[in-house]
Amino acid sequence: MAELPQINSVRSAPVAPRASRPSRLGPGVEGPLIPFIVVAVLLVGYGLVVCWSATSTNADFSFSRQLTGVAGGLVAMAVLWRFDYRRLANMTMVFLVINVVLILSPHLPVIGVNAKGAQSWIKIGMQVQPGEFAKVTVVLYAASLVARYGGTLDDAREYCKVLGLLLIPFLCIMTQPDLGTGLVYLFISAVTLVMGGAKPRYLIVTLIAGILAIAAVFVIDEFLKYEKSPGVYEYRLLKNYQRSRLLVFLNPGGDTSGDGYNLAQAMIAIGSGGLFGKGLLNGTQATYGYLPEAPTDFIFCVLAEELGFVGVMALLALYVALIVVALRIARAADDLFGMLIVCAVVGMWLFQILENIGMTCGLMPITGIPLPFVSYGSSFMMVNFAMLGLIASVCTHHNALGRKGAYAATH
Amino acid sequence: MIAAIIAAIAAGLIVVAVIVAVVIVRNRRGAKATPRKDFQQLDTVGVGSSPFESSSEALSAKNGEVRVTRGQTAVKKPSEALRGRFVALGVLAAAVFGSLSAKLWSLQVLSSSDYSRDAEKNLYSTVSTPAPRGLICDAQGTPLVKNRASQTVLADADVADDRDVVRRLSAVLGVPANVVRQRIQDSSGGAQSQRVVADDVRLRDVAFIAEHSDAFPGVAVETRTVREYPYGALAAHVLGYTGPPSEEELKAKVEGREIKATDTVGKSGVEAYYDSVISGDHGQRRVLADAAGNALEVVSETQAVKGSDVRLTIDARVQYVADKTLADLVAPDGVIGRGRGVAAAAVVMDVRDGAVLALSSYPTFDPANFTGGIPQEIWDLYTSEESHAPLNNRVISGQYPAASTYKAFTSLAGLEYGFASPTSGWVCEGKWDGFGSGDVQMCWNHSGHGGLDLRGGIVNSCDVVFYEIAKAFFDHGPAGTGQVSETALQDYLARFNLDKATGIDLANEAAGTIPTPAWKAERWRNLPSEIPWRGGDFTNMIIGQGYVLVTPLEIAVAYGGVATGRIMRPHLLKEVRNAADEVVVSYEPEVVCEVDANASHLAYVRDALRGVITENNKVATMFAEAGVQAAGKSGTGENSGAADHAWFVAYAPYDDPKYVVTVIIDQGGGGSEVAAPVAAKLLGAAMAADAGAELEAPQRVAGSTGKSVEYHGTSAGRTD
Repeated sequence: MAELPQINSVRSAPVAPRASRPSRLGPGVEGPLIPFIVVAVLLVGYGLVVCWSATSTNADFSFSRQLTGVAGGLVAMAVLWRFDYRRLANMTMVFLVINVVLILSPHLPVIGVNAKGAQSWIKIGMQVQPGEFAKVTVVLYAASLVARYGGTLDDAREYCKVLGLLLIPFLCIMTQPDLGTGLVYLFISAVTLVMGGAKPRYLIVTLIAGILAIAAVFVIDEFLKYEKSPGVYEYRLLKNYQRSRLLVFLNPGGDTSGDGYNLAQAMIAIGSGGLFGKGLLNGTQATYGYLPEAPTDFIFCVLAEELGFVGVMALLALYVALIVVALRIARAADDLFGMLIVCAVVGMWLFQILENIGMTCGLMPITGIPLPFVSYGSSFMMVNFAMLGLIASVCTHHNALGRKGAYAATH
Repeated sequence: MIAAIIAAIAAGLIVVAVIVAVVIVRNRRGAKATPRKDFQQLDTVGVGSSPFESSSEALSAKNGEVRVTRGQTAVKKPSEALRGRFVALGVLAAAVFGSLSAKLWSLQVLSSSDYSRDAEKNLYSTVSTPAPRGLICDAQGTPLVKNRASQTVLADADVADDRDVVRRLSAVLGVPANVVRQRIQDSSGGAQSQRVVADDVRLRDVAFIAEHSDAFPGVAVETRTVREYPYGALAAHVLGYTGPPSEEELKAKVEGREIKATDTVGKSGVEAYYDSVISGDHGQRRVLADAAGNALEVVSETQAVKGSDVRLTIDARVQYVADKTLADLVAPDGVIGRGRGVAAAAVVMDVRDGAVLALSSYPTFDPANFTGGIPQEIWDLYTSEESHAPLNNRVISGQYPAASTYKAFTSLAGLEYGFASPTSGWVCEGKWDGFGSGDVQMCWNHSGHGGLDLRGGIVNSCDVVFYEIAKAFFDHGPAGTGQVSETALQDYLARFNLDKATGIDLANEAAGTIPTPAWKAERWRNLPSEIPWRGGDFTNMIIGQGYVLVTPLEIAVAYGGVATGRIMRPHLLKEVRNAADEVVVSYEPEVVCEVDANASHLAYVRDALRGVITENNKVATMFAEAGVQAAGKSGTGENSGAADHAWFVAYAPYDDPKYVVTVIIDQGGGGSEVAAPVAAKLLGAAMAADAGAELEAPQRVAGSTGKSVEYHGTSAGRTD
């Protein structure tokens, strides 16, 4: 870390406060904020409607808890929005420490909870998944790290150093293990690297190395496997359930009662929705329990079944609008750190949307990755609001306005 | 998961490819070469700002100019230098949303109807409701098998692990807790099905369980129709028993019969043979069900149709006499070994049409114990050696040496080939060595019968007479003069179908054995020295010993052939009646074949069989007391290492035959001593029923206790 370029002495706008702008919604500066707020409100509202429908028929889930998550998220968003993100620019080390502590906290003896074979939860009054919250700090960590290079990362040694540092959160989460969340971290890191100006050649080499590493995992696993009982092999690197999910993904029609059951029921739910759906609360797949995990990982199926292709396209349109507006904010950002924050958040959303919707319709293998703004779960709801807050912060804090710009009065 | 990585990497690959493309295009344009900054430079540079940017800002700030305008120059934004990468991110987003939309379009619009059908299939299921089985009645319409409602308490398999629920069930039902657990763990009804904890539960106990259903998770109460047997074990081997279907029965496709896992199917006897008639048609109930299989709502329903009633040729009164007589004879106090023999079988058949009036096999079982699956303890008991196989129907599947009952047929064969005639005469000295081999064969009467003709040979059952006839067959066969074929005797015996199953409407009927040289060669294929057909094989066979085996029913049918000249197919079904008690099917008697025998020979042998009854004082008294004018034949089957089997077969009236009776007492001793009284009694009952006399009404018959003690038979030698 010590060799990293130090930038605290060159804070981008360390100059004296400027005159306040007359309007906080003035043209050019806060232009994207209005559409951003509109899209976010629509998306959150739509998500809540779907979540309400999914939870109303399932006694195991309470919609009010989701509302609590939204409320908590709103607070987190407001705080982050008003906070000048640029203060965080040189706190790379701090974020790294926070990440490692958060992600490894489930291993702690008293608060750690082992559920379904993974050490992913802690119990502090309520049960929360710190790996979920760490997505926020992973975004900030990756953005601040890459931003130090000012948009050109073309020294091989430096590139390797950055790459290594970016892999730390992933390696930490794999100790739980939680491959789904780990992939989100990896994708955030990858987007940050690409958007942060890493040399294309390095990126390609990294990609090839990654593919080779995965191939190596498979090959080594073949040697490490041992016969648990006659004819049943236990692999060491990849769990058997991970293998079976992969096999189901590659051959969805093969087995509709065992591992393929979830996928088959998810596709029935989506397909039977048709063009206009069966109507809110009228979905049969979730209501009668055919669809597993309906309010959480498979909530998209509830939407698709009840509101049909039209409802699904409305959601995708809102996502597209959110991403377009976010990218506008990113392009309008005055500093690389802010731009990278927004891009990393966009990357995270993109990956989660792709993986969650993709797995329900058979495009992607099944992993437990929730759908942003829709899936039941207060932790992830709060994370998404925090992401919104970060983007809003980037949108409203501009170099030209200085730290005590439009919102100086509120600080 | 791995594929997720691969997909992510593939997406990354696309991104990188786009970036490379964009960078190349941009470089080709040769436009502004972005100034490359190295890290030393970076140290002095603001985050994401070029030195130019910060300095210009600083400069403008110094100048006091508020230069923050819309036109903050493009160069100032870090994103400007990375425009190509934004394009790439945009392409990635477009690819993600494009592929998702395309897939969703194909799922929700193009193949929506398929998935809708699958969703329906999930949701609605058709449940079959079992149909009550038809009744089984005797020839007079007395129901032998009825139905009744039974409150049944069922439990899911995992209830066995719940101590509290097991304890509560035990308390309510009055069954020990370990028994409750054992019954719940019993998977004989199928792994998925609920296990029967108790049937015939009192209504107040059922009400208690229903009212406190939260204290009994996984416990259900069902009203089931179960079989009821008003006469207990009466005619058990005829009626058979029912039970839940086995895997094979579920798989087997039977015309007009659809078997569901929850059904009751006939497992043996008439219940099994006429299962498709008795079973009725399932009701169909279309229900809305959730994923756990709970029926939430009945959408439509068709009622089950009760099975047809079956009326048998059995006369319950005669059957009762048979069942009771055999039980009292073999196991007077319910324990085999304290009476005569270890098992017994008797059959009463109408020789005119093959209708079976009574068919009794002892030891027997109470089919009521078998409803809803055979309890393990009863199964263990009935398959133990001690119980002497109560499930075995000895009338149709018991194979015994025919002994002297064979002499009616072998004497006809001798007459046919001229090796015996009404004028032939022999001298019996009690022993015989006609082949001069030194291997002396004995007559049952070791002191000898003296001079005899063929009739005398049959009446006295003199073995020596038949040894002589056998010798004639051997001497005229291929080993001698070659005038008759080597299977001349066997071929003649086969005219009475003594080597074929009779075709009665019951499953698992065995066929007898008439040994031939070919059969013997096959039998001893591993011991070639035993293969050659010897004269001794003929002398053994002609008196129904050696390799000869018959079932009691074969003997009854064949004697019917001797009595009437026709071999009838024995049957139990009289008619089938529908719900309105109308006869829909009536059994048509079936003549299997006319006996190919000379009428005068038949008359000669019938006269001799009449003599068997009348010329033995003891036997004559028995039949006189029974009030029947019978003809018949005794037999005492030698049984190596154990007591002899006692046979008696008789038909009456001798001059106008109506009924034939066959009785065998397994290890019972002498035929005319042990079996004849039973035959006389049964024939008397059949004739009395025929005459319309009042018979004792049938009463409940007990199933076998499965108990036995070591049996010591009378080894006094043959007395037939």
